[in-house]
Amino acid sequence: MSEKKLGEHIITVDNVSKTFTGGIQAVKNFSTKIRRSEVLVIMGPSGSGKSTLLRCLNGLEEPDSGTIIIDGIPLDDDKRHRLEIRKEVGMVFQQFNLFPHLTALENVNLAQIRVRKKSKKEATEMSMDMLTKVGIAEKAHCYPAQLSGGQQQRVAIARALAMMPKVMLFDEPTSALDPEMINEVLDVMKNLAREGMTMVVVTHEMGFAREVSDWVIFMDDGQIVETGTVEHFFKNPREERTKLFLSQIL
Amino acid sequence: MLKQKVRFKLLDLILIIFCIGIVYFIFYRINVQLEYRSNWAAIPRYLLRKDPSTGKLIPNYLLLGLFTTIRLSVWSTLLGLVVGVIMGIFRTTKILFLRLVGRIYVEFIRNLPPLVLIFLFYYFASGQILPLLGVEEFIRTRSASAQAILAFFFAEKALFTQFVSGVITIGLFEGAFITEVVRSGIESIERGQREAAYSLGLSWLDQMRFIIMPQAIKRILPPLGNEFISTVKRSSIVSAISIQELTFQGRQLATSTLWVFEVWITVALMYLMLTLILSFAVSAMEKRLRISD
Repeated sequence: MSEKKLGEHIITVDNVSKTFTGGIQAVKNFSTKIRRSEVLVIMGPSGSGKSTLLRCLNGLEEPDSGTIIIDGIPLDDDKRHRLEIRKEVGMVFQQFNLFPHLTALENVNLAQIRVRKKSKKEATEMSMDMLTKVGIAEKAHCYPAQLSGGQQQRVAIARALAMMPKVMLFDEPTSALDPEMINEVLDVMKNLAREGMTMVVVTHEMGFAREVSDWVIFMDDGQIVETGTVEHFFKNPREERTKLFLSQIL
Repeated sequence: MLKQKVRFKLLDLILIIFCIGIVYFIFYRINVQLEYRSNWAAIPRYLLRKDPSTGKLIPNYLLLGLFTTIRLSVWSTLLGLVVGVIMGIFRTTKILFLRLVGRIYVEFIRNLPPLVLIFLFYYFASGQILPLLGVEEFIRTRSASAQAILAFFFAEKALFTQFVSGVITIGLFEGAFITEVVRSGIESIERGQREAAYSLGLSWLDQMRFIIMPQAIKRILPPLGNEFISTVKRSSIVSAISIQELTFQGRQLATSTLWVFEVWITVALMYLMLTLILSFAVSAMEKRLRISD
């Protein structure tokens, strides 16, 4: 992973805060920078604000204050900026969120045709490439309900990849999976990381973090508690909260 | 679903005999105690009559009323569907003004007695809206053949304005109920569906068109079917504003001939025929939807 060439900063998060109606402050004055081709893993106990932060990065949540810039485009009120960012940032959800009334292929095709304005033929070609990449091309004509959780999540990854995103966000992509299906999804993600995709991954999969992540943020209470490489977290975490958390998940 | 075998038991037999007994008793009371002379033979001539000039059978009062009820139901269902889908979507948007419009529409209509609403709408629609739309002018200036076509699909020239206000009234009334059906259908779609579509860059319109509505429609088809049946039943209320549909014709006939029971039972059977056909269609559709799940 050290031979991977890291580029300039592609994501800049500056002083972002988000409070939900009801007064729960999910993210507090959060700042970070992520380079092109970097794989960042975000960890933290549930309710620590890591999913909210991730969802802010593609506009699914609206930060109350602070700025987010992705590939030079500020995520502000300008609709064109937001659309551009939605196109360039792929998102994979914990619950897959495949469209149940469409086949796997149609799931992957739809946004290419409607958003990227490709012809159906072009889109299908790209979709089959992506489904092959995630190892599920033979299920292209199945509906989501006919697929296992691991297969559904791989289709969801293919769907995001087919948009040729510059950044991929993963929101606990393996948390809803049965244990025997976790690896098939992680393998796809590892390959993606090795190909140089910029990835921000919220996960507790230490094996994944160890193999492909460039660095890790440990979050609690909406703030960064500690950052470092995975090795740092394994060998000598500084903060008490980090130690406590790691002792629980390892 | 587990299928339970239907078995005919002694209790069922007793209940059936009991029900037959009650029906017999009612007829006995009508015939003997009220000394009501039934005259069922008179009814058919109010369904069909002979045209004196050509000698052909043509529909008479009751059948004409049934046709008007069908026309009224079809058009007001279509209007209600259009209004209901638009308002239903309004009620689920992020824009406060549109939500407010949808909410006011639904609350206004659902919380007034239908009869009051009919009068309100009737005088408002026929007094204000229709002249504005130039309906009267439109029908009067059509050619004879165009008028015949309009008479077939809507109503004849003399009753056209009334018919249109009736359709608007029932359509808007049904629309409020369909609004709520559509809203609940849209809201029943998991949030993640919209989030995934949003993340892929789909516009709001595309999200609705390709993701939300196709799933919502499947879920709301059965309750929507029930609203269609309700439309047929509720259409009877426009008899209050002299639209010559089935209930109106029935009342005219019953008061002039005094064959109260025969006329109303015939009217009831005619309504049942319409609604039962629709209801069978709805349950057949529900069954098909269940298979594809």
